[in-house]
Amino acid sequence: MDIFGSFALLLAFLFAVYALVAGIVGILTRRALVTKSALNAGMAVCGLVALTVATLEYFFFTDDFSLAYVAAHSNRALPLYYKFSALWAGQEGSLLWWSFLLSIYVFFALFLNRKKHPELMPYVGAILAGVQVFFLTLNNFVANPFHVFAAANSAGAMNVARLSDGSGLNPLLQYPEMVIHPPMLYLGYTGFTIPFAFALAALLGRYPGEKWIHITRRWTMVAWCFQGIGVLLGAHWAYAVLGWGGYWAWDPVENAALLPWITGTAFLHSVMMQEKRGMMKVWNVWLVFVTFMLCILGTSLTRSGIVSSVHAFAESSIGGWFFGFLGIIFIVCLAAWWKNRDYLRSDNQLDSLVSRESSFLFNNLILLAACFAVLWGTLFPVLSEWVTGNKISVGPPFFNKVNVPIALFLIFLTGVGPLLAWRKTSVDALRRNFAWPLVGGLIAGVVAFAFGFRLFYPLVCLILSVFVTLTIVSEFYRGARVIASRDGSSILSAVGELTMRNTRRYGGYIVHFGMVLIFIGIAGSAFNQDIQREMAIGQTITVGPYTILCQNFDQVANDNYQSDRATLEVFRNGHSEMMLYPERRFFLASQVTETVVANESTPIRDLYVVYAGRSPETNKPVIHAYLNPLVKWIWFGGVVVVLGTGLAMFPDRRAALVLRPVAQKSWGDAIAQATTGSRAPSPIPNAPIRRSTPHND
Amino acid sequence: MTSMTSEARKNPAIVVGALLAAPFLLFTLLALAPPSHAQETARAKALGARMMCTCGCNQVLTACNHVGCTSSAAMLKELDQRIAGGGSDDLILQSFIQEYGLTVLVDPPKRGFTALVWIAPIVLPFFALYLIWELVRRWRHRAVLSPAGGPPISPELLHRARSESDKDLDE
Repeated sequence: MDIFGSFALLLAFLFAVYALVAGIVGILTRRALVTKSALNAGMAVCGLVALTVATLEYFFFTDDFSLAYVAAHSNRALPLYYKFSALWAGQEGSLLWWSFLLSIYVFFALFLNRKKHPELMPYVGAILAGVQVFFLTLNNFVANPFHVFAAANSAGAMNVARLSDGSGLNPLLQYPEMVIHPPMLYLGYTGFTIPFAFALAALLGRYPGEKWIHITRRWTMVAWCFQGIGVLLGAHWAYAVLGWGGYWAWDPVENAALLPWITGTAFLHSVMMQEKRGMMKVWNVWLVFVTFMLCILGTSLTRSGIVSSVHAFAESSIGGWFFGFLGIIFIVCLAAWWKNRDYLRSDNQLDSLVSRESSFLFNNLILLAACFAVLWGTLFPVLSEWVTGNKISVGPPFFNKVNVPIALFLIFLTGVGPLLAWRKTSVDALRRNFAWPLVGGLIAGVVAFAFGFRLFYPLVCLILSVFVTLTIVSEFYRGARVIASRDGSSILSAVGELTMRNTRRYGGYIVHFGMVLIFIGIAGSAFNQDIQREMAIGQTITVGPYTILCQNFDQVANDNYQSDRATLEVFRNGHSEMMLYPERRFFLASQVTETVVANESTPIRDLYVVYAGRSPETNKPVIHAYLNPLVKWIWFGGVVVVLGTGLAMFPDRRAALVLRPVAQKSWGDAIAQATTGSRAPSPIPNAPIRRSTPHND
Repeated sequence: MTSMTSEARKNPAIVVGALLAAPFLLFTLLALAPPSHAQETARAKALGARMMCTCGCNQVLTACNHVGCTSSAAMLKELDQRIAGGGSDDLILQSFIQEYGLTVLVDPPKRGFTALVWIAPIVLPFFALYLIWELVRRWRHRAVLSPAGGPPISPELLHRARSESDKDLDE
């Protein structure tokens, strides 16, 4: 069976190589049949990698410990669902999983566009095949998961040996979220390959216009959304499993996942400037390139052991392969851009600093500043060691000090940007759009200050959050009111109608609102409280309004682990509120101990209790209790972001109504120009706004 | 006693000197007195927040409580002992640097090469801002007014649209 898996993997590699070589030949010779066979080979890779993954899963599910990888990451007592997720618990399996997800993306990208864009797809196919060749090279020759144990028999011949049981899955990964988190994150990482391939293909083939952006918009949003879900699930896992009371520690691996999400966010915004005004073409192409390169850099940091992290895989020589690949990508991108840079000439210029375009410029500047700060802080210890010979730490306080002001400015732009008109915004429009949200934000700030809310950054965050929320609400309300008054419908149904008419714009607002919720949740961390104490039965500790009484300590066990468990009763104002059972589990197969946090979560605060083990001096159990305000807002905000992204991917309901003769400007155009607040004199400079909308995106 | 009072009357500088010296005396007494446990705990927390756990978890010392950590418990105990030993904050931090290297500090030193870690994230956005400014300036300089593609919107139609939309928005 292991031979079958190895063979399928090798075949997948050969198909990918063929797809690459034939793809290049097809482009050079312009022979359609060669190109078509290359694209078909690219799609076939998906089936072969799927077979490989199925084979490896078969080994896990049948407890076949003849494979070294299975023996290292599973055991007989492991629950079935963790046997499935054990596939990506180690270096080899996670790289195979990466190849599998990538091959799914490639299959759909090639299949869905098989009859479209004949000038573009040969390039896309070749680029995607090139990326697949790299990962399948690693799967086959560097980190092959199908290595078997071998032992010599009495005659000296080597036979496959089977261990009776495996070492078990890392206890940190034995958590339901870990079944979902890595696939989500990998779907993000691998998903950015598609916009990268289309961008590079458009550049290499000098594909006209902004079509590559239209083709890849939804692909980018899918990848961005998965990356965001992956990051948030990772944060939630760290919060729920690691037991240190927080969800984000600016760990290099966390940072590596965040970086492409940040540049992806910048791209999703700046791309609108190219679509609407034909601007920022070079910028957008490079943003996609950088996003993809950050995906590769991120995974190389995780796997090379260059930066220390509790999340990282063991140190290995695989980092060199990734850095080599990164170098090749950079050279190819640079050469493609240099050769075709005249193709990326901007159609328009910026008319005013108070405009939607300039807000996107600032948005991009801020996002890239955040990206740079995170990358810089992550890599600086390595740089410092190279230059000075001294290894230093760049801890969470650095990232907080640098990124908190950046994040606040970003929230401000989240509120301001969408209300500015394209090209130029009049003072009247500014006053009309901003007055009430601004007043609302300031009132919220004054009220909060009066109630003793005095910390500077959380206070500013609150003011800006209220401001942004009000701008979003006012945008929905103003649009819906126009529809309601014209159609005679209720405001609520008008909101639905308005949203479905321009899903991208209003989905985007919902995403912004989700981000506001996340930022409020993060601001809550400024008010965290905690207490750690040795506790005997009958003793109490107090954190915030809660008094925690220790009722009992006992032990529970099953085939997988033995657990020390505390039984705690929580009182508030003298009344019993709940029972909590924090645990400390000892996993038998891996001989590793892990905490199971007891967390009572409400929208106001989390009461988060950890059984931190027994004191080495007194042997008394130690309980660490945290009171973390507003954490739930972060997870809820994440759900809102996902819903908003999903909505933004829906096609507009009004799309079919846009078709009309170009010869005559319509009532819709006049409404569009009137409602943007633009009072640009006629003749209108250069090209007009490309799409007529009652509300601009 | 009376002589001291009369001396003070004769020379008010003594009174002023005594008044000025009193806070210093009080401060010295407080400093020499053994610190209370609450003060020690607060100081340990503050100092611990300026150090990293050295187990590789990449967490601040006081925040690291992950199971199986080989460093944090011992480091915190060491910190308590050094605080009880009576050294200043800087002295205690220096002793930890001697023992664990610069990597024990949460914030990299703001001098020499490591100052770059602080400077770059501040300087670069401003540099980028300057580039954007320069870009915008060039764009505006190059901007040429030219007729838009297609026929322009007639002033009557535009006026009607503006008044209709203003009416809608003001309702």
